[in-house]
Amino acid sequence: MPISYQQTKFNLFSLLPLLALFYISLNGITVLNINFFSINIHYILVYFWVLRQPKSLGYGFIFLSGIINDVVFGLPFGTSPLSLLTIAGVAAYVRTVTVRISLLNDWISFLPALLVANLINFSALYFSDYAIDYFFLFKTSIFTFIFYPILWIIFRLLLNLMKN
Amino acid sequence: MDTNRDDFGIAIRSAFLSRGTQQRFSLFVLLLISIIFLLFEKIETKPLNYSRSIIKDVIYRGSFLASAPTVGIKKIISGISKHIKLYEDHAKLKKENSLLKNNILQSEYYKLENQQLKKLIDESSNEEVDYLTARVMLDKRSPYLNSFVINSGSNKKIKNSMTVLDDGKNFIGRIVDVNFFSSRVLLISDLNSKIPVIIEPSGTHGILSGRGNRNVSLEYLPENHKTNDGDAVYTSGKEGIFKPGIPIGEVKLTKEKIEVLIYSDLSQISFVNINLTEFNLSK
Repeated sequence: MPISYQQTKFNLFSLLPLLALFYISLNGITVLNINFFSINIHYILVYFWVLRQPKSLGYGFIFLSGIINDVVFGLPFGTSPLSLLTIAGVAAYVRTVTVRISLLNDWISFLPALLVANLINFSALYFSDYAIDYFFLFKTSIFTFIFYPILWIIFRLLLNLMKN
Repeated sequence: MDTNRDDFGIAIRSAFLSRGTQQRFSLFVLLLISIIFLLFEKIETKPLNYSRSIIKDVIYRGSFLASAPTVGIKKIISGISKHIKLYEDHAKLKKENSLLKNNILQSEYYKLENQQLKKLIDESSNEEVDYLTARVMLDKRSPYLNSFVINSGSNKKIKNSMTVLDDGKNFIGRIVDVNFFSSRVLLISDLNSKIPVIIEPSGTHGILSGRGNRNVSLEYLPENHKTNDGDAVYTSGKEGIFKPGIPIGEVKLTKEKIEVLIYSDLSQISFVNINLTEFNLSK
């Protein structure tokens, strides 16, 4: 059966989150540092797509991307997968218990996901004897939360393109 | 109340235990694997170290390839900006060159004088150093570790804790992780970096501590130390890990801290020298 243009377009768009996930981990840009701002786009990407289109991001891929992130950044193996899968877990839970999709709902539920993931990240690094810049961790969490709506809008547009 | 608790349990089970649509693994299994990975990180056995080395080497090469377009674009942009500043830089370098020529003559004189004085006190010196030059493969400016990855590993006899110098032979860090074909260099600016140093001309000993960003500061100095702006900072060689007298930077006094301006620009390093001799000597 010949593959239609629509199908190809859908497949291409549905691959974008996965490609973005691996691109940012391989390039070491999971935490964007722009002057004073630092945003963890890895967390936002995982949270949004597991929440809204779980088909696009498999848990196995999230785990693999976390391992790549650990190697590129020189962190102990398992630190990033643990925090990313926690984010994915909270997103999967929120998806199960909510019916209506709204930016506010997603944004508010992102806060506990962020807190738990950072706590796990911090604990893993602390017990691995890594000196941590607490201020950086705190600053990144705040800006990641603040910038969530901007990326939510971008991802939502992409999701609409996939669905159309 | 019971119904709510049941709902919560069902939702948690559905999120963590069920595999869901098109998922090959459940979250719970992957979380468990991550925890096992973390626990295994502390265990040092040959098979584990080999597998870790292979995984790291493969990912480093993958990351190097994936970041090639970005690095290429950055190089083009920096090339253009360098061309724009060409005349300005030329004038500046001309001035610096004449100054350095004078300094070289002066240091040659000091070197000779030093050798003669050493002869007088019968101190034997072994100046032969075996340096290995390696290229910086990945410099990702991690928010957690100030480090980069070089393209040589145990295949070139690199070992943990070896001294890493820039192309001008200034101290920039040490080796912290060795794989077959790559190694990680922990820079002196990292939070985890503590280097015993000596400040000249006062001869004060202290510890040079990284602060996570590109700055470093001096700690554990004696109470009545006489450190001034512009004093030179060298490795002291205490603890026997690093060779003494490797230049690091110069002191800059601020209100709260005693900072050190590193001679080397850590963000612009393409090649490094690794001292292979001193490690063998200390062993």
